[in-house]
Amino acid sequence: MDKKLGVYICGGCSIGDSLDLDKLSEVATKEYKVEICKTHPFLCGKEGAQLIAKDIEDGVNTVVIAACSPRAQQEIFSYDPGVVLERVNLREHVVWSHTPQDEDTQMLAEDYLRMGIAKAQKVLPAEPYQETIDKTILVVGGGISGMTSALEAAKAGYEVCLVEKSPSLGGWMSKLYKQYPKHPPYQQLEDTGIEAKIKEVEGNPRIKVFTGAEIEKTTGAPGMFDVLVRQNGSQTSLRIGSIIQATGFRPYEANKLDHLGFGKYPDVITNFQMEELARQGKIKRPSDGKEVESVAFIQCAGQRDENHLPYCSSFCCLTSLKQALYVTEQNTDASVYVVYKDIRTPAQYEDFYKRVQEEQAVFFTKGEVQGISEGGGCLTVEVEDTLLGEKIGINADLVVLAVGIVPNSMPEEAKKATAEAESSEEKCEGAAERAPDSGFYAAPALQLKYRQGPELPTLKYGFPDSHFICFPYETRRTGIYSTGCVRQPEDSATSIDDATGAALKAIQCVEQSSKGMALHPRAWDQTYPDLFMQRCTQCKRCTEECPFGMYDEDEKFNPLPNPTRCRRCAICMGSCPERIISFKDYSVDIISSMLKAVEVPEEDEEKPRVIAFLCENDAYPALDVAGINRLTYNPYVRVIPVRCLGSMNIVWIADSLSKGIDGILMIGCNYGDDYQCHFIKGSELANYRMEKVQETLQRLVLESERIEVWQLSISEYDKLPKIFDDFLETIERVGPNPYKDF
Amino acid sequence: MTLATPDKETMDILLDLGGEKLKICYQCGTCTGTCPWNLVRDFNVRKIVHQAQLGLVDFEDEDIWTCATCGACVKRCPRGGETIDVMKAIRKVVSEMGAGKVPDSLRISIKNIASLGNPQGEAPEKRADWAQGRDVKTFTPQTEWLYFPCCIPAYDSKVKRMALATVDILGKMGIDFGILGEKEKCCGESVRKAGGEETFQSLANTNIQTFTESGVKKVLVSSPHCYHTFKNEYPELGAEFEVVHTTQLWAQLLEEKKLNFSREIKKKVVYHDPCYLGRHNDIYDEPRRVLEAIPGLELVEFEDSKQNAICCGGGGGRIWMDTPKGERLCDWRLEQAVELGADILAVACPYCMLNFDDSVLTLGKEDVIDIKDVSELVLEAI
Repeated sequence: MDKKLGVYICGGCSIGDSLDLDKLSEVATKEYKVEICKTHPFLCGKEGAQLIAKDIEDGVNTVVIAACSPRAQQEIFSYDPGVVLERVNLREHVVWSHTPQDEDTQMLAEDYLRMGIAKAQKVLPAEPYQETIDKTILVVGGGISGMTSALEAAKAGYEVCLVEKSPSLGGWMSKLYKQYPKHPPYQQLEDTGIEAKIKEVEGNPRIKVFTGAEIEKTTGAPGMFDVLVRQNGSQTSLRIGSIIQATGFRPYEANKLDHLGFGKYPDVITNFQMEELARQGKIKRPSDGKEVESVAFIQCAGQRDENHLPYCSSFCCLTSLKQALYVTEQNTDASVYVVYKDIRTPAQYEDFYKRVQEEQAVFFTKGEVQGISEGGGCLTVEVEDTLLGEKIGINADLVVLAVGIVPNSMPEEAKKATAEAESSEEKCEGAAERAPDSGFYAAPALQLKYRQGPELPTLKYGFPDSHFICFPYETRRTGIYSTGCVRQPEDSATSIDDATGAALKAIQCVEQSSKGMALHPRAWDQTYPDLFMQRCTQCKRCTEECPFGMYDEDEKFNPLPNPTRCRRCAICMGSCPERIISFKDYSVDIISSMLKAVEVPEEDEEKPRVIAFLCENDAYPALDVAGINRLTYNPYVRVIPVRCLGSMNIVWIADSLSKGIDGILMIGCNYGDDYQCHFIKGSELANYRMEKVQETLQRLVLESERIEVWQLSISEYDKLPKIFDDFLETIERVGPNPYKDF
Repeated sequence: MTLATPDKETMDILLDLGGEKLKICYQCGTCTGTCPWNLVRDFNVRKIVHQAQLGLVDFEDEDIWTCATCGACVKRCPRGGETIDVMKAIRKVVSEMGAGKVPDSLRISIKNIASLGNPQGEAPEKRADWAQGRDVKTFTPQTEWLYFPCCIPAYDSKVKRMALATVDILGKMGIDFGILGEKEKCCGESVRKAGGEETFQSLANTNIQTFTESGVKKVLVSSPHCYHTFKNEYPELGAEFEVVHTTQLWAQLLEEKKLNFSREIKKKVVYHDPCYLGRHNDIYDEPRRVLEAIPGLELVEFEDSKQNAICCGGGGGRIWMDTPKGERLCDWRLEQAVELGADILAVACPYCMLNFDDSVLTLGKEDVIDIKDVSELVLEAI
């Protein structure tokens, strides 16, 4: 591509008052010999926008705009895909945060312009990856969530395949006698309505239902998955665009709750068994068939207990309230006792709780169950730590354990997601053993033929999530979304909302893929990794470190990219020791060129230079916010945005130091249990890789203090000036980079 | 060891006796956190309510008599629980079903009320003695207002200043009023809160009959307790008369410009909201309007005032029970007033006056602060 550069410098928003724009223009015109360099007092105004548009019409194909943050005025400064655009942040990062009309401020602006031009010279227009994309949505699991996702996707005009393991649709909902009220005024039990929903699904011409079916194999990538479904001994091959996993839950195994007498006494049952009893008619004791006159419900039977299920299962309180009414509606003289840790009935369900409380025969008491014993023709539940300050005993014909739920994704025995061979044999028993980032794959459901493993990687407690707070429904496999109780414990009302959300995500996936665009969080991005395979050493770092399992591998361990699986984080680019992975607008070479464009003053000028690599997702916008708030910091730091700190290639450190840069800051998102990295493990990987940088420093006989790695969330913008200033103090103490004058 | 087992029968009895709302308590403990008793002693309201929920009340426990029915917890209960009704139901089980023991002083007071119509055990024929030397006539069907002073001002040599000030103002204003003297009996409000439902019913019926027979249309009261039961409880038993508290009447006369102040009271005054005027009947502004209208008077507020006012500890029958020194809410409140630098603690309830008078004496604050009814201040300023 023949580059024809145009540089446009804005003088608005106090840029013109703070900087010498003529001098700044000379950077473009004299240093870089850019023919077209224009300044305008109000570039985002109509006249300014026309100025640029006219030049593009006349042949400019690479536009450098030195004005506000690239996060501002995106609609105005937006051009055809063939035009390369580079934004130089003079407003937030220069004039709003530094002394006006100052030599150092001017030098900062000039460096940023150099870096912008250097980058623009190397960036090529994106050529979107476009294949024939199938937009059929596969839903795995035919419970309330799966059926809802299927219906919602079908209503939006998409073809849907729904695969259910059991012989009929409906899931757990079809096993319920009644459901607790889901409508105002939240007073009366309701029919589940599941039959109508099943009929709706079965009658929808866009939905192809496979019951009694399982997935044998899934290959491919979003927009082009090939899924092999086995049903009644025969196989069907499906072309699929995106996948929703709604494989639900199983009740926690009550056998593990021997302290609550399950298995020992036939009249101790679970809440799920209680539904069966209620469906059979009068609720009778399993032991002797006596119609129950008193029932004790034990809440949190295993839930919120480190030895069993550490989390709340969300609907067990409401289920017991509902079942209490089964008992009192059957026999007005019956007594019901509910022993709880906390009754959790969020939102309007509080009205239902109140309604059951008002039931004369229902007693509530907070406490811990110490044990259950039998005698005198009934069971006695011993409760301690009650709010009476004394133990109480409850005599009951029937004891119902309100057990919680385990996601069906919970691996019983499975391979670890990381390639560490020694841990692959590890057995996993209770949920409590799961570390937050378990590193385990979900139990078999999708049978993915991916280099990184057969199922979705699971997070805390075996749920296959990717980022609980920021990216609901998303998993660590692009184009595969989880919903319903396999995603998080939720009741049917929440599941319906949730499944609708997941259907939208699945639709977004096929639509974006068909345009060759990335998915959240880089939804506009049309670039994708290009591998210069001649130099690949088959080291497998990219195939192992991609957080989304984008790469498959051939038998010789060559990476095989699947661009529609790619989230464009460039973590593979950071991982590659041979530096063969590049994007059209983001490569090792492009960033190196930016580094090299920085002017490093001689040592006796006493103007140190620091490069700060800032994650585009949190740290970079945080620095914008610091500028918006007019927080000031030293003018010696040069900021380079990176897609993710995980995309940092170590060679940039070496390039910087050998050029005479005095120190390097790397600021990424928080990692660990509550990570905020938009690409799951990028910041963690960066931190890990930087440990290895020590070797580089030693080779260059440099101090380790010259490199700092920070974690920062977007709300911590006010910490940035201090991080910068403190780092400069450290650099001052350590002294100038000895390579400066070479 | 035998464990306490939830007792449905007892719980059912408590529900029947008026504790219907005890079911909806979800044990958040806001009541205990709110209860002013915890400023001076431990009192676990939540626990008593939970005991009632499980039918496991300890009827021998003195704590079931502690609640002064100030209503602070009721105002804050997120579930709309009626704690007072629960306490009342528990007390009824003791006093009417003999489950435990009614504290001696309370038992004697209620016995006096039942037999003589007043808690002090004074002779009914002496009930009008407080008005001796004043031109106070006996109520006739032609009289506009019945003034109902409450047993305490009627018989207590100190608190009667409240009633005297009231009739003096009425006299000065030329308002047509009378008293019923020995014909009237204790209103029964606190008796009911103390669980003496039968006694209350009998008192109320007698009073209603007397008022009806005497042709009473409008009653002026000094006590918020009389006000409360006349206004909110007697109508259920067939009463049909208007009830006005003295502070309300003074405020109305002030507004109508019939009441005019000509004398200054150059004092710092803090007004103590009686629970039964404030929280129970939402009358907060009238007493303040009256005090603010007095020339020279500087009205200051407690940190906890109006809805958040701290009880003097005299409601719910507590006025007839002994509270050990160090656990008296009136002492705590008086200290609060002294800290504010008030010269006068203005009250609008005979129970409060009785309690605070006592606090002034026992704490030795005679030279620091005076206790005055709003009516006394009005009279001084006319």
